[in-house]
Amino acid sequence: MPDAPHPAEPARIPGAASAPEDPGTPDTAGTPHPAPTPDAPHATDAARERLARAQAGLLAALVAGAPVPAGFDGERLAVQSRALLAKRAGVVAKVAPELPRLLGTARYHEEFLAYATDRPMTAGYRHDALAFAAHVLDHADLSPRVRHALGTWHADRAAPVPPTRWQRLLRSLPPRTVRRIG
Amino acid sequence: MEPMERLGVGIGWRPEIADAIGDPAALPGLDWVEVVAENIHPDRLPEALLRLRERGTTVVPHGVALGLGGAERPDPARLRALAERAEALDAPLVSEHIAFVRAGGPGTGVAGMEAGHLLPVPRTGDALDVLCENVRIAQDALPVPLAVENIAALVNWPDEDMTEGAFLAELVERTGVRLLIDVANLHTNHVNRGEDPATALAELPLEALAYVHVAGGVERDGVWHDSHAHPVTRPVLDVLAELCARTTPPGVLLERDEDFPHPAELAAELDTIRATLRETAHHA
Repeated sequence: MPDAPHPAEPARIPGAASAPEDPGTPDTAGTPHPAPTPDAPHATDAARERLARAQAGLLAALVAGAPVPAGFDGERLAVQSRALLAKRAGVVAKVAPELPRLLGTARYHEEFLAYATDRPMTAGYRHDALAFAAHVLDHADLSPRVRHALGTWHADRAAPVPPTRWQRLLRSLPPRTVRRIG
Repeated sequence: MEPMERLGVGIGWRPEIADAIGDPAALPGLDWVEVVAENIHPDRLPEALLRLRERGTTVVPHGVALGLGGAERPDPARLRALAERAEALDAPLVSEHIAFVRAGGPGTGVAGMEAGHLLPVPRTGDALDVLCENVRIAQDALPVPLAVENIAALVNWPDEDMTEGAFLAELVERTGVRLLIDVANLHTNHVNRGEDPATALAELPLEALAYVHVAGGVERDGVWHDSHAHPVTRPVLDVLAELCARTTPPGVLLERDEDFPHPAELAAELDTIRATLRETAHHA
């Protein structure tokens, strides 16, 4: 929510003088209680933009196979990148323990690495588990038994929540009526 | 700054060790616990946690997904969720991390990505300005004081202007936020980034200390992995001792997240922490 309105400066210090001119210099002189950075509502916007680009550059190198940004130690980034992958595989195995059980632990890790390298997580671990299962179903050479079990697992969890009464009513209407309502 | 609530010696509450935590015979003398905020729902608190609350054990929610060090302002829904957990547990404070956990999206040229872990904030003026504003937004949204934790880093940002101690001191001065100092993370940054824990401790505003984290890790090829899956090692206890020589921490908490040992092993680690506190007690 980059455009969300910034709440007014907190009223933590009642009666504090209005913000000085320079929003970048914190006024901390001699106050026993923390003084607020005298920021105008969007004083940090420029810093946020620069920080956003820097952090996106680093994270893309760590999880999306992007080039190492200037000034970083590539070897260390590779260590961090592997650590993130291992943690992600571990957490997905925890939220969806059926996956390592169906594939076997070694095969699970091998397939997860193939799936997750260069493919960042975007919507949490449950979504990641589903996307991984779909990827395995599409790309891996599976025995018919494992393919069936994994396919069933995926279909059960990928199914949308049970339709509401309103959705059922819409579906029961002739297509043209639905289009007009939509 | 108001005096910190005395917490004592505690352990990170995890479902895998809930039985041991609830059993005074298994883990005697436990003063408090910390629970990962994102792993509980305020309306469906685990029975074991509710029983601890009934016995008067303090429970502190510990957030991992806010990303206070990220470029975005903290998500109001995540802040609301953290506030609800603090209220449901009647917690005296909540804690989070000085880290970014997601990046990308509009204006950055790359799609939004989640790290799935805590990543270090560059210690620059820009990052500090953003972090201070994010912390103040969080403080305004929370019903109790916020403490923020130093993280373990594997990577170094180039062109940093400040040491970790100076960065944290400035953060505290500008926001009044409290500190959760993870001594294992100070050790991690010693091994991985060559940053001396003694220097960091000397620069830290220890009057802002809310509590301390202690955890185990492992060194592989010269890199310290803050695994929370290994026993607590002597160098980490040495950093705790160094901290205790400077101040009396209001609380100390042992973190174990994986490869849980027999409860007796955790009890022994807690005893070692208590002994370290006793032997290196700070006398003001």
